[in-house]
Amino acid sequence: MQTQMATAQTAYVNKEVQLTCGIDAGSSSVKVAIMRSRAGQGGELLALASQRIRRRVVDEVVTASFEEACQTAGVAPGDFDYIASTGDGDAVHMRTGHFYGMTTHARGALWLEPNARGVLDVGALHARALKIDDRGKVLGHRMTSQCASGSGQFLENIARYLGVPLEDVGAISCQSTNAEPVSSICAVLAETDVINMVSRGLATADILRGIHLSIAGRLVKLIKSAGADGTILVTGGLAADEGLYASIVQCMSEGVQKKTLVRNLGMEVKRHENAMYAGAIGAALLAAYRWEQLAKSGRLEMLLATA
Amino acid sequence: MSSSDFVSQVAPIKAADPCGALLQRCRTLVEDHELNHVKQWKAANPGAFVMGHMPIYAPRALVEAQGGLAVAVFGGGEEVDIIRGDSYFQSYICHIPRSTIELGLGGQLDVLDGMMFPSICDVIRNLGGMWKILFPNKYSAYVDLPQNFAQGIGGKFYAHELGRIAEEMHKFGAQKLEPEKLRQAMRDENLRRAAIGKLDELRRTEPHRCLASEAYLLVRAGGGLLAKEHAAMIEEFVLAAKKRDTRPRDNVRVVLVGAFCEQAPVDLIRALEKAGCDIVDDDFQLGMRMIEGDLDAEAEDPLLALAMGFIKKGAAVASRYIADEVKGKSLIDKVKASKADGVIFAAASFCDPALLDQPMLEVAMDEAKIPHTSFKYAENTGQFQVIREQAGAFSDAVKLWGQVE
Repeated sequence: MQTQMATAQTAYVNKEVQLTCGIDAGSSSVKVAIMRSRAGQGGELLALASQRIRRRVVDEVVTASFEEACQTAGVAPGDFDYIASTGDGDAVHMRTGHFYGMTTHARGALWLEPNARGVLDVGALHARALKIDDRGKVLGHRMTSQCASGSGQFLENIARYLGVPLEDVGAISCQSTNAEPVSSICAVLAETDVINMVSRGLATADILRGIHLSIAGRLVKLIKSAGADGTILVTGGLAADEGLYASIVQCMSEGVQKKTLVRNLGMEVKRHENAMYAGAIGAALLAAYRWEQLAKSGRLEMLLATA
Repeated sequence: MSSSDFVSQVAPIKAADPCGALLQRCRTLVEDHELNHVKQWKAANPGAFVMGHMPIYAPRALVEAQGGLAVAVFGGGEEVDIIRGDSYFQSYICHIPRSTIELGLGGQLDVLDGMMFPSICDVIRNLGGMWKILFPNKYSAYVDLPQNFAQGIGGKFYAHELGRIAEEMHKFGAQKLEPEKLRQAMRDENLRRAAIGKLDELRRTEPHRCLASEAYLLVRAGGGLLAKEHAAMIEEFVLAAKKRDTRPRDNVRVVLVGAFCEQAPVDLIRALEKAGCDIVDDDFQLGMRMIEGDLDAEAEDPLLALAMGFIKKGAAVASRYIADEVKGKSLIDKVKASKADGVIFAAASFCDPALLDQPMLEVAMDEAKIPHTSFKYAENTGQFQVIREQAGAFSDAVKLWGQVE
């Protein structure tokens, strides 16, 4: 029996690559990444999928997104060595293990941008800034608390007031020629500001740019307090918002000019087309890393034997 | 969030879950802040004595032996707004005495004929004193637990103390204590302890079949049940849980320490589970599992046997003096026995016994190279974002890097 166990364990360790899946169950959408890697090193991205939750049961959105990604990758649900959840792990019933959002975004950001030493994860409900090392290990972090003014939900509310589809917000914001400043302190006050601006007949682009700058101002302060420097990758659902990205770059540049950001002369904010999948990608990579750890320690057998 | 919403998040019941109905019953009992189930028991047992007690250990077998029902009082949790309770305690005092006073003055504890206040700390001692003044017609017992563990000293003292309480309960309407009835109550208590032992064993060996938050519900639900009835309920759960269609998860195994008196909100336990932690051992609700082994129910002197159960088999908690043992040794043993990866120190804010012990325990953990983290809570804490962050970071650090920096 012992020999059989040892053989099986060796077989696991010697396995060249692991097929893993990362499922990021966020508060407004579910993102899935399927990857093939050797213990999370390198890594080949086989499929990405994302679906917005929109009043659906999260578990069902997770299943639908997972199936969609499996179809794209041409793999069966049973083929995976490890399925990792991040975000709302309870919704991911097929998970092998769970990693915290901060850890997965750090790892995913590093894979997307190998020079990244900082991450700005902007999601629907909150934003957080991470300082990371070259392994993707989190060295420091800061997060917005209960306040909604640095979040995607706030932006979604504003888009609704303005009658602008959420996916057009970034492009419209970039057309602004005279951004209208709004309260950067409180989302409730900012929303009141927006209603007044609409009444005053201000251009939608200028209102949106003002909102973006308001959010960006908070995010830049967050990066600064987290102590992140060098290349910063914007991740999370709002990474795709080009208006927000341009505003972060603008705020950072103004901060350096005003010397309120003295430490980050070398700071460069980047984004990536797959940045909104950073959590899912990071989870998939960490899954492979963890798989090998478990295989080496013999705990993988235990995990699979009783599965 | 209403109470029902809150507790329904503890363990989402699936239609096919063989434990679903039982967990639902536990929820109903835990949510019964008006103690209606105790009122029903009292109506069915006219004249029987109902004795409340504060957390950690209380000699529940003594109450049952005198024909009564022991009822664990865990404070008001997040369900009770403290209005009058605050005027009895300073701001730098933990939350449970305030909410207990609030419950008492609000009439929710009227069904109790008496209250026991074990010697947990000065605050609970003061609460016991206040109770005596506020409710002069009810029995109020301060249980002076021994801190000398020699049979001839602490054992003799505690047996005498138990005898005194039995006499006083009798004066307030409980049946007279008879040796055979005490032996039977101790046998029943052994059944409960054995059942809780099986529950703990299940979550240690197969944590996916029984979450810590479910085990918490099951144990807490029995706070107002007779030992035998509670034991049967837990046994039924353990059998049903083994039939659950679940799969193991790659979670970090942790021991949680410090929550022995004021209880953590159930949502906090869920937050830790959601962060990827399997709580494989803890000191929640010690009252019903403080004695780590059987009471000698066949002893010639059952009162002394009940006392010696506490003396010789009482768990090592912050409110118990540890003389001959290295501080932290029992925690290290617990970590090893449960094959835990780390320790979470979760103490109630302003809990002197837990927080004074913690630095010494942390040193012991460092020396034993056991990863640990710590945070504080109050029974009415409603926001867990920071704790979730901390637990998530801890879990990942242990899982991925094997250490916490």
